[in-house]
Amino acid sequence: MLRLEGVEIAYGDAPALFDVSVHVDRGELVAIVGPNGAGKTTLVNAIARLLPFRKGSMHFQGTDVTKISPQAMGAHGIAVIPEGRRLFTQMTVEENLDMGCYRRNSRAFRDQSLAEVYALFPILRERRHQISGTMSGGQQQMVAIARALMSRPEVLLIDEPSLGLAPIMVSQVFEIIQKIHRGGMSILLIEQNVNKSLDVAERAYVLDCGRLIAEGAPSELRSRPEIAGAYLGHASP
Amino acid sequence: MNANLLAQSALSGLFSGGLYALLGLGLSLSWRFLRIINLSHFAMIFLAAYLTYQCTAIWKINPYLVPLFLIPLFFVVAALQQLAIIRFGIDEFGSIVATFGVTIVVEALLQLIWSADFLRLETDHLKGSMVLGSLLVPWADAFMFMCAVTTCVGAWGLLRFTYIGKALRANVENPAIASIFGVQSRRLSLLVAGSAGGLAAFGGVFIALLFALTPSQMYSWFGVIFATVIMGGLGSPLGVLVAGLLVGVSESFAMALVAPSWAPIVPFTLMVSLLTLRPGRI
Repeated sequence: MLRLEGVEIAYGDAPALFDVSVHVDRGELVAIVGPNGAGKTTLVNAIARLLPFRKGSMHFQGTDVTKISPQAMGAHGIAVIPEGRRLFTQMTVEENLDMGCYRRNSRAFRDQSLAEVYALFPILRERRHQISGTMSGGQQQMVAIARALMSRPEVLLIDEPSLGLAPIMVSQVFEIIQKIHRGGMSILLIEQNVNKSLDVAERAYVLDCGRLIAEGAPSELRSRPEIAGAYLGHASP
Repeated sequence: MNANLLAQSALSGLFSGGLYALLGLGLSLSWRFLRIINLSHFAMIFLAAYLTYQCTAIWKINPYLVPLFLIPLFFVVAALQQLAIIRFGIDEFGSIVATFGVTIVVEALLQLIWSADFLRLETDHLKGSMVLGSLLVPWADAFMFMCAVTTCVGAWGLLRFTYIGKALRANVENPAIASIFGVQSRRLSLLVAGSAGGLAAFGGVFIALLFALTPSQMYSWFGVIFATVIMGGLGSPLGVLVAGLLVGVSESFAMALVAPSWAPIVPFTLMVSLLTLRPGRI
């Protein structure tokens, strides 16, 4: 469904990603895990088309989307839940959700989408007139997820959903991600929290220093000593 | 000091306040949503005022029809100016210099065409006053006030309730994220600039209706309008309206109670106090 091949990204002369190939199939929940500074957010911004590729290509549902604008990328059906949530903090919850369905094709489904996300997050219905910047981190993350869902995407791109959240909220957010996935959504989850990500993902990539160093099912990655030792916080056996 | 005089000066203060809001609204919107401090707004207002004079006094066109073509015309002109600002990558402070340049050019143009002499638009429309109890209410001012309030409330409603309004507010807070959701900031910026131009034209019509015109007069509006815009909070039409009325009424009271020469001190005292007490508003 979404396929990146041999992607290389650089900030000026400083390369940040080397030869990265990633794919997400329909209905899959794929995780990309790795430590701070591995290039995860760079990869998200590249997929959202906020950064140009130096090399490589991206295809979405068979269409070449290597060179399109962020606006056009969203129109193809990729919704981004950015790192740090990036809500429109001076706007109310419902206004944020309205921005999610700003595009004409999703605007037509506004009421239906709104009912769906409020069913998923009842707290947001209660707080729909609250200024989103005044909410707790966990609630803001819910708004960010809901806003992305309002665009009725084919693929959800979730960048560091656990960032800055209390542990209990982290568990809740991962439960919600699983719930959305069970509803049939294809999800690419980019996370620093490796253990939690491997708990929910069907397949995972390990990214470090701008390179993919491993790929496989979570159980398989956990059983590889070099991966488990370096990234999962277990002592090597 | 009798109560009647006080009431009359409060009323005239409200009227001038309405005009301040109408003239300041476009400035406030482009400052907030385009990060452009558009000094040429004043030149546009005066250009529109002179064109109104020309159409009404010389060509005898019905003054009610004048805004119908002036507003679209100025919409286009202002949008073109915004295109140039985007094209040359002019930032917030650069915009002050660039638009001041435009202002001077327009002022020279006005002098060239209409001379520096005072021109007074004489029209049979909106002449005279109605008597409301002991108060004298000039028709022209009352009509202008109604238009100003309607415009500000309308602009507020558009920003608050429409998708375009929400997109503008989202775009100014985070353009990258807004673009992911399909907001096309360039198109929006032309819309904002054009609307500010249309507002300038609308304000200009009333300037022609209410004042004698001379090109250099445009500079005398800078102070009071900027005070109104800054006090109102950038990009907030209701704020601009309230600030305009506050400035107008307090000026008017200062004139009635102290001396007319005290009027200019009022908006700036208000503005400085507000900036001191609530600096975060800008």
